[in-house]
Amino acid sequence: MSMYVDMILGGVFHAAVVFLVAAGLQLVFGVQKIVNLACGSFYALGAYFGITAVAGAAAMGLPSVVVLPVLLAAGLAIGLIGLPVERLLRTVYRRDESHQLLLTFGLLLVFQDVMRFLWGPTPLTLDNAYLAYGTAEFAGVRVPTYNLLVIAASIAIAAGLGLFLQRTRTGRIIRATAENREMSEGLGVNSNRVFAAVFTVGCMLGTVGGALVVPASAASLEMSVELVVEAFAVVVIGGLGSMRGAMAGALIVGLIRAVAIMVLPEAEILSIYVVVIAVLILRPAGLFGKAMA
Amino acid sequence: MNLNRRSVLRGIGAAGLSASMPGVFAPAIAQSKPVRIGILAPRSGAMGTVGECGIRAVQWAADRMNKDGGIAGRPVELVFEEETSPKDTIERFRRLVLQEKVDCVQGLISTGVSMGVAPVAEEEQALLIMWDGTTQDGVKEAMPDARYVFRSTDNECEAVMSSLLSVKYFGNKIKRVAGINPDYSYGRNNWEAFRQILTRAGVQYEVVAEQWPKVGTMDLTSHIAALKAAKPDFIFSSMLFADLPVFMKQGSAAGLFEGVNLALPAAGWQLNQLKKSFMPENIVFGHNTLYFALPDASPLQKAFVEDYMERYQQAPHWEADRAYFALAAYKAGTEAAAKATGRWPKLDEIIDAIPRQEVQSLGGPGRFRADKIAEQVFYQGLSTNDNAYDFPTLRTVNAYTADQLQKPPGMDFWEWLKTAKLPV
Repeated sequence: MSMYVDMILGGVFHAAVVFLVAAGLQLVFGVQKIVNLACGSFYALGAYFGITAVAGAAAMGLPSVVVLPVLLAAGLAIGLIGLPVERLLRTVYRRDESHQLLLTFGLLLVFQDVMRFLWGPTPLTLDNAYLAYGTAEFAGVRVPTYNLLVIAASIAIAAGLGLFLQRTRTGRIIRATAENREMSEGLGVNSNRVFAAVFTVGCMLGTVGGALVVPASAASLEMSVELVVEAFAVVVIGGLGSMRGAMAGALIVGLIRAVAIMVLPEAEILSIYVVVIAVLILRPAGLFGKAMA
Repeated sequence: MNLNRRSVLRGIGAAGLSASMPGVFAPAIAQSKPVRIGILAPRSGAMGTVGECGIRAVQWAADRMNKDGGIAGRPVELVFEEETSPKDTIERFRRLVLQEKVDCVQGLISTGVSMGVAPVAEEEQALLIMWDGTTQDGVKEAMPDARYVFRSTDNECEAVMSSLLSVKYFGNKIKRVAGINPDYSYGRNNWEAFRQILTRAGVQYEVVAEQWPKVGTMDLTSHIAALKAAKPDFIFSSMLFADLPVFMKQGSAAGLFEGVNLALPAAGWQLNQLKKSFMPENIVFGHNTLYFALPDASPLQKAFVEDYMERYQQAPHWEADRAYFALAAYKAGTEAAAKATGRWPKLDEIIDAIPRQEVQSLGGPGRFRADKIAEQVFYQGLSTNDNAYDFPTLRTVNAYTADQLQKPPGMDFWEWLKTAKLPV
């Protein structure tokens, strides 16, 4: 029994992080119809900035238990970089999709060099922050408490985002703009503002994801490219533009990976992409996506 | 940044050397023209920390040599390029040789890259002395008759030594073995070597789990869950990049190491990142060819370690030794050839002279065999956290020479493993 609990928790932890990046990708595509390849950069940026913020907090003498709030705040703060990036993206909103892809991919490479310049080329870690909250017993299994906190934070962010989009006036405006930009503009919506806000929130989801994962792993220049590939697997499975799809896709990817590692470790990557291919063949719009004409 | 990618850092102060003391050969052959050494080393990515340590060491070595008269009276000048993918590194190698006109290229850590660059060195007839790269296709030597390419010790040396020490220290306590190794030939061959040595030593064990994360996997929680489920009493891992500290941190937090012994043959590469807070003790801990805290270290090692730790606030690892060894071997070969000829030697004379030289490197004495594969001293032992650092040191230090750990020229590794007279 404990074996399965361990396996599921490992899969859900992975899913919790991938979900945040994929959710950012989905949000931006859902509203702005841009496939943002730079989302992986925001994830890496969050990780690096998280390390800087925790180091700063430690230098100020703050106790190690503030690691999580510091990382959340750092992720949100560096996520504001979405504002200037969105201004840049405005130049290609009405251009061919290939221009948008090339620009966001270019941004990914630019960010990689910016991070190399600011934080150096070698992977950075937060040595002891991961153990700041100790360990917990969960269904008879010893789990790092930090993993449970990250899962909880990810669920809370997903729920908050859902409530924001469904229950608030701004959320309704965003959904209306996503549905029909011209119509919403005709009704007085400033779509530029909506796009700026949506892109920044999407960016923050990525940066918060990166900041949250860094105590358990490391910040490296490669993480941006690695995660963007996995985030796209999530998006394909869940359906492009769907937040529910992001959640379901992340869980599927995380759990399939965990099962494969337990049962047939060589199939860790293969298992995910078999599902991706199956979805593309059998349900091209993804589990929760809308079929496009 | 361009500066990091393709920068040419002409670093070492040839200036001032003219005022320095003349070397042994200076009266006969001193020239003002520097000896140009091209350095190809990773500066980013998973191997960034490793390359950085080697670069620091080769700069230290060149500085020291220049203060002492350079190489046969000529100052040393380093020209840096980055080791990245095989294709790009080959281009940079050609640039160093054809445009920068360096006298020798040194560096290379990844065997995947070395395998690509080595044939080009032969084709260009350019001297290449590798730090950590080999021309092994798996465990088989792919270039047994290389003329211009000097290679590091075989990749399996550290795994053979860790396996032997696992038998020595844990022997028949080993019953349920799990492996988590990087998913490429290095990890696969190390794991197989470990198993074969246990079998040869008569250890009655069963393999309860094998995990093969790809290099750079930073979320290992599911791998750790799989290892925990297998309930091993011994874990062998030849992970060696930034994923090793992540594995130890996540494994420690998940309680994986309770009642489990470990062998980490290549842990020394990540020494500074392996913090005591998540490192259990009594690990078979590999430092390869440089153990920074060696109790009876040479004055050379002591001077280097002191300078390095003071300047970088970190302990140096074996890549420093490999970088130093490559430059020292070139210097020794060149000076021997110069002494024999009474002039600045030709490339062929240097190449012929290098394998005959015994070199005092940072980690101890070393040499190149006639087939141009290095033989150096390896250090491993059981770890302890009882020290003044925030990472483990060795409680017991074992030192084996490479001739005890690597196959002789021309021999199949697996055959050698079955029949070799091993030190344990």
